[in-house]
Amino acid sequence: MTSEVAGTACPSCGRTTAEGDAFCEYCGAELAPAVVSDASPGFVPSCPVCSADRSIPQPTGVTADGYCESCGRKVPTGRDHVELDLGLLAGATDRGLRHPRNEDAMALATADTQGGPVAVAVVCDGVSSSPRPDEASLTAAQAAIRVLLDGVRMGDDIAEASRDAVQEAATALNALSGRAGAPSTTFVSAVVESRAAGPAETAPMTITTAPGSAPTVGDDAAGPAAPGTVVVASGSPDSAVSGSNGAVPDSGDGASGSDSASCGVITICWLGDSRAYWLAAGGSQRLTADDSLAQEMVDSGLLGEAEALASPQAHVITRWLGADIAEPRPHVTRFVPPGPGVLLVCSDGLWNYLPEAEDIAALAMPGALTDPAGAAGTLLKFALDAGGMDNITVVLVPVPLTLSRSSP
Amino acid sequence: MSFTVDVDQNQFMPEGGRTVNAVVTVASSADMTPAPSDATRAAEVIMVDCSGSMDVPSMKMSSARTAVCAAIDVLHDGTAFAVVAGTNTAWPVFPSDGTTAIADQSTRAAAKRAAMSLRASGGTAIGTWLRLACGIFETYPAQLRHAILLTDGKNQHETPEQLQAAIGRCEGLFSCDCRGVGTDWEVAELRRISTALLGTVDIVADPEGLAADFAAMMESAMGKQVADVALRVWTPQSAVVQFVKQVAPTVEDLSSRRTQTGPQAGDYPTGAWGPGESRDYHVSVEVNPAGVGQEMLAARVSLVSGSDVLGQGLVRAVWTDDEALSTKINPRVAHYTGQAELAAVIQDGLEARKQGDEETATAKLGRAVKLAQQSGNEDTAKLLAKVVDVVDAATGTVRLKKSVADADEMALDTRSTKTVRVKKEHA
Repeated sequence: MTSEVAGTACPSCGRTTAEGDAFCEYCGAELAPAVVSDASPGFVPSCPVCSADRSIPQPTGVTADGYCESCGRKVPTGRDHVELDLGLLAGATDRGLRHPRNEDAMALATADTQGGPVAVAVVCDGVSSSPRPDEASLTAAQAAIRVLLDGVRMGDDIAEASRDAVQEAATALNALSGRAGAPSTTFVSAVVESRAAGPAETAPMTITTAPGSAPTVGDDAAGPAAPGTVVVASGSPDSAVSGSNGAVPDSGDGASGSDSASCGVITICWLGDSRAYWLAAGGSQRLTADDSLAQEMVDSGLLGEAEALASPQAHVITRWLGADIAEPRPHVTRFVPPGPGVLLVCSDGLWNYLPEAEDIAALAMPGALTDPAGAAGTLLKFALDAGGMDNITVVLVPVPLTLSRSSP
Repeated sequence: MSFTVDVDQNQFMPEGGRTVNAVVTVASSADMTPAPSDATRAAEVIMVDCSGSMDVPSMKMSSARTAVCAAIDVLHDGTAFAVVAGTNTAWPVFPSDGTTAIADQSTRAAAKRAAMSLRASGGTAIGTWLRLACGIFETYPAQLRHAILLTDGKNQHETPEQLQAAIGRCEGLFSCDCRGVGTDWEVAELRRISTALLGTVDIVADPEGLAADFAAMMESAMGKQVADVALRVWTPQSAVVQFVKQVAPTVEDLSSRRTQTGPQAGDYPTGAWGPGESRDYHVSVEVNPAGVGQEMLAARVSLVSGSDVLGQGLVRAVWTDDEALSTKINPRVAHYTGQAELAAVIQDGLEARKQGDEETATAKLGRAVKLAQQSGNEDTAKLLAKVVDVVDAATGTVRLKKSVADADEMALDTRSTKTVRVKKEHA
């Protein structure tokens, strides 16, 4: 399998780079760095209200703290609407219509490995009731994608790397926390590998729970999902799954990665109520289970899903990533796609309006298979048209990872 | 010495909501800046009433002389100072040429000798005293200019307009703490001066207390480090500042004191600051509402001294359709709204009582008793209890006392503006 990165020019020094290199051999520049939904370069803030007012002759200024110098309105920052397209995957995030700023963040990355191309996505939704949620989400996404990308490049076990990424994000949040309290965020990461799944990964797994940990919704994640395809790696880092993994990339599957039968392996890691979905003809399903009171009510049989989501406490999350959590215990799931489809990673700003996998698929497919950026825009627009009550973030990864589409 | 500016508010507004309220707390750090040159930047003028009535009883004049000496003893070396005797005219007692002397051992002794020779005779025209003080301050380029004014009677020998014009001349030039000795002076008159000149006003009913009071006032004045500090309030285009009030330690409405400093900004004077001070201001702004989900900067409150910005706080407005958020009342805004009303109903109630309108007086002072009780303002509650018989504080049921000592009524009046604080953690 070839990669577009191979043989391309280093963006920094212009020299031709070798296939599979993460860094330029000559100048050391990172060849395919992660991208985050920070302010886009060259973004110049301006007041949308005053610039639309023709009675104001001059463009009004914006203060250092982001308010219009004339009308005082908070001016949109560079984060309020960001679209990222890395070819293998694409995402969009938006402030929505009702929130003063975008407290969601996303980070995307690609890597070219021996096992073929890999796509990495992280979506974080800052917890509004915590201080500086916008910084929390961006900081966590940035810290986590760094660790995940390193893990992917080093050929590490991805479930392990995912937990490390969460721990690293927690450490970064600790550095943010001040006297006002603990900045907090939800977290969901997805790593899509091209390599064929090993036999241990496709077989149903017994769910093991970390010693001493309370039973939680996440540990039941394999239940509602289709048995046989969703494999829950235990919350315990020393589970048998990790051991069997290590051998897979070296088993020669990398060479047969182009085998049309193989659609790779997806590793999801999460805390809170940001979600991952698998969208495919006839087989769309949710891959994550929320850490929320609503989910707990559903799990305990107290309420149906629709009723639970309508309850006032529906969005109270029961796990999160924050400076107040010493040792975050994320859920880690491995999913082996049975055939081509699209992985969706999103914040609740989208799924509040469209919780069912089938409904999302009806809207996004089949376009998402070939144009993830366009389909992300479609889903985003749907959520905005439905009311845009919350910040919205959508990331789409067509599987198998294909490089035939237009590159950014 | 450094400053902090903290804003306490509920920034959440209901859809279409226009009025944004906030309590802005300005505090100075406790550290003294050791600057020997600082003393030369301060000037003090002591104005003492020498009208004929100061001799009735004669103890008033002798207590005033002692009090002036006590204040002089507190002057730091290097402070420029002067003593003015006031009657229906004003004359410079020390130094006698209408300028200032620089405080040291010998000038302090000379000034005290001059003060001990003060005799009572003549009338009362406070405006002339203030004009002379202005003239004296203008002879010395001090940054911190402060005066003490003592009187025992009404301003009988000039018109209210003449006094008002004199006050206008002094505004911004110096600050002035005013004291009335005995009970023959008028609270409203002295309050007009102290408010305009950013000082305090109080009654010293017993002349014996004058010396300690003068020394304390001078101590406080000597502690000031930064002069002419102002709150600069920036507001959005088309917004209207409803009011800017100091609400702690006393209620002082600064709204009419605004000086425009830019197309969307105005300065409100706060006077001079010493280390370890903390004052609260209630700022109320009316804005053009933005849509639900939008955020607006309703006011940027900066603390300025000359061209220096000493601190800054933001008053924000965020419109929401979440009623649980927008209906939340900020406890400090509510508390100070109550304290400002308390001061107003006491003053209105006492005025009604003076006019013989017992019904209004009973209603207003009853309301005051209720507010004082609710807010835990015990000092004011005690002062009220000397003017009315409290039947039930919780409902504000009171009866006017048949006979009230003048001193008690005046103490209630002058101290009606004193407030108590609520802790922010209460919220």
